[in-house]
Amino acid sequence: MPQIITEQNLRNLIDLLVKEAKLVVGPKLSGSVVLYEPLTAGSDLTLDALPRRSSKELFFPICEDILSYKRENGAMKVSDMDRSKFPEAVLIGAPPCDAGSPAILDAVMSWDYKDEFYLERRRKSTIVGIACTKGDDACFCRAVGLAPDAEAGSDLFLTPLKDGSYACKAVTEKGQALVAAHQNLFAEGAGAEPKPFVDQAVEKLDLVKIKKWLEEHFEDPLWEKIADICVGCGACAFICPACHCFDINDEGSTDDGVRRKHWDACGFAKFTNHASGHNPRDVQNKRYRNRIMHKFKYYDDKFGKTLCTGCGRCIRACPVGIDIAEILEQINSK
Amino acid sequence: MCKSDNIYLPNLATIEAIVDETPDVRTLRLVFQDEQVRENFSFRAGQFAEYSSFGFGESTFCIASAPTRKGYIECCFRSVGRVTESLRRLEVGDTVGVRGPYGNSFPIEEFYGKSLVFIAGGIALPPLRTVIWNCLDLRDKFKDITIVYGARSEADLVYKHELKEWQERDDVRLVKCVDPGGAGPDFDGKVGFVPTVLEEAAPSAENTIALVCGPPIMIKFTLPVLERLGFTDDNIYTTLENRMKCGVGKCGRCNVGNVYVCKDGPVFTARQVKAMSQEF
Ligand SMILES: Cc1cc2nc3c(=O)[nH]c(=O)nc-3n(C[C@H](O)[C@H](O)[C@H](O)COP(=O)(O)OP(=O)(O)OC[C@H]3O[C@@H](n4cnc5c(N)ncnc54)[C@H](O)[C@@H]3O)c2cc1C
Ligand code: SF4
Ligand code: SF4
Ligand code: FES
Repeated sequence: MPQIITEQNLRNLIDLLVKEAKLVVGPKLSGSVVLYEPLTAGSDLTLDALPRRSSKELFFPICEDILSYKRENGAMKVSDMDRSKFPEAVLIGAPPCDAGSPAILDAVMSWDYKDEFYLERRRKSTIVGIACTKGDDACFCRAVGLAPDAEAGSDLFLTPLKDGSYACKAVTEKGQALVAAHQNLFAEGAGAEPKPFVDQAVEKLDLVKIKKWLEEHFEDPLWEKIADICVGCGACAFICPACHCFDINDEGSTDDGVRRKHWDACGFAKFTNHASGHNPRDVQNKRYRNRIMHKFKYYDDKFGKTLCTGCGRCIRACPVGIDIAEILEQINSK
Repeated sequence: MCKSDNIYLPNLATIEAIVDETPDVRTLRLVFQDEQVRENFSFRAGQFAEYSSFGFGESTFCIASAPTRKGYIECCFRSVGRVTESLRRLEVGDTVGVRGPYGNSFPIEEFYGKSLVFIAGGIALPPLRTVIWNCLDLRDKFKDITIVYGARSEADLVYKHELKEWQERDDVRLVKCVDPGGAGPDFDGKVGFVPTVLEEAAPSAENTIALVCGPPIMIKFTLPVLERLGFTDDNIYTTLENRMKCGVGKCGRCNVGNVYVCKDGPVFTARQVKAMSQEF
């Protein structure tokens, strides 16, 4: 029998989780924008806008300490960070384009060398995804194989119903455990009809065809045409749920400080600059080309996945109007 | 050091000796502080490490000493920026961090029974020096060994003391050169660019492996010369030195197409390099 949760009980669930000392993160009005932020109460949750930045930072923070160092009595000492202190977390209210991203990033973070900062947070988190009823023109999740009602990446998946409640589906054991632990908030029943999902302008793209085109068109006038105007601001990468490039730097003195891992972007001019001055991606269109290639070819070559969830954030944010969906459509129609 | 699953945590090493190779190139001899690490650390020629100067960050250098020489490792770097300049300010007895070894290596066992030609330019001798010493320490396993090494000027030649040693050995042929205008009155090598000098030296390609390291421009002009000498793309090895940060296939910085230089490289054959997108 399917499970139903009313909106009030969803908010009550958040209150309970907060009481259980879990870190609960969800869309919250922060000033004038909606962001994924820690919720202190169920009333904090807002579900009527797609958060400006993605939920990736719950697993992969913008900036995090990866070690500390300190000179004691003349001898340098390096200390690991205590990852056992990472909180048990629940991400709540993430639409498929956000809920789906960890499932993609797990591949790069766990192959061969394991990034335990990311992976430990993943182990300790439960994702409550929600079917999307509020997309806009920039959305194209369907085009990259997801959908407004795609469960991929969610542990528990909520579908908004016309009567204001939510149909719940436990997708994984973590999702089942969350329901089981708070069974009194869930009711059994078929519930009302689902609210209509978002309509998306972009047709489903043939990702295999696009990849093949990319393989054969490393050099193509398209790159200059669309990407010379990119200003390399990195906005597209910083709000993307799937981008994972980072830098590592020290902060502190030579005697005492921390080493930090923080987001970086292949769109930045210095990203690949050699110390000799030679830069393999010396002009902006090469850097933008790498962005597209990484998402729709290289990541697939290595991990069999597309590094884009079609959230449309980069389209909304780009100051010069570069539209990744339009580029993909162009390639798709070639 | 503490056993940890943190892939970013370096081992600590003490600077045991410093050699100034040129005005801006320095060699550090490093000894791991933890006894177990010191005993267990092993690597293969061609691998690199991330070296940290605490307070400044990490920099990528190849391990320049030979795997056949135990108890220490060496790196040799040119001061060009933030981390390298801070490493340069350190003194004997100071501590640095070392993560690694990372990357693939030169398949030295496959070279047994063959002749070797090493071709290096400028500061790119360190990645070959590890192989040179590795092979010289196993001298019986190889036929002829030729080293063609050039730099902009006499002052820019690194490992001068070792060049002298190679020059004096009768089981090695060293051809040393500097760019036109770079030679002093007493220079005992050749004047000319590496590719030209290599062509004049004309090592036989018969049963021979060529190992080339240098700035991209030098490699670009050296490959056609090797081809004219009869080397095939499978018998030419080089290293790519893309900018790196994590060294372990996560940070997304070092890729050439779908090849991650930190994981799939830095050692590649000329055939592999030619198959890559021209973005390096
Ligand atoms: C596999 C591999 C092996 C290598 N082996 C060696 C080796 O054996 N020896 C060696 O010497 N090198 C080697 N390198 C290169 C070495 O990694 C770099 O030289 C080194 O990392 C530079 O670090 P840095 O922090 O000192 O330079 P950075 O401070 O990062 O500077 C790099 C360059 O950018 C410029 N720059 C920095 N900041 C700015 C700014 N704000 N504005 C304008 N310009 C700026 C600097 O002037 C410099 O030219 C290797 C690289 C790889 C990938
Ligand atoms: S590339 Fe753009 S559309 Fe795709 S996931 Fe990233 S921000 Fe969203
Ligand atoms: S947001 Fe637009 S201008 Fe900025 S780096 Fe991305 S594509 Fe370029
Ligand atoms: S150096 Fe980070 S991916 Fe290669």
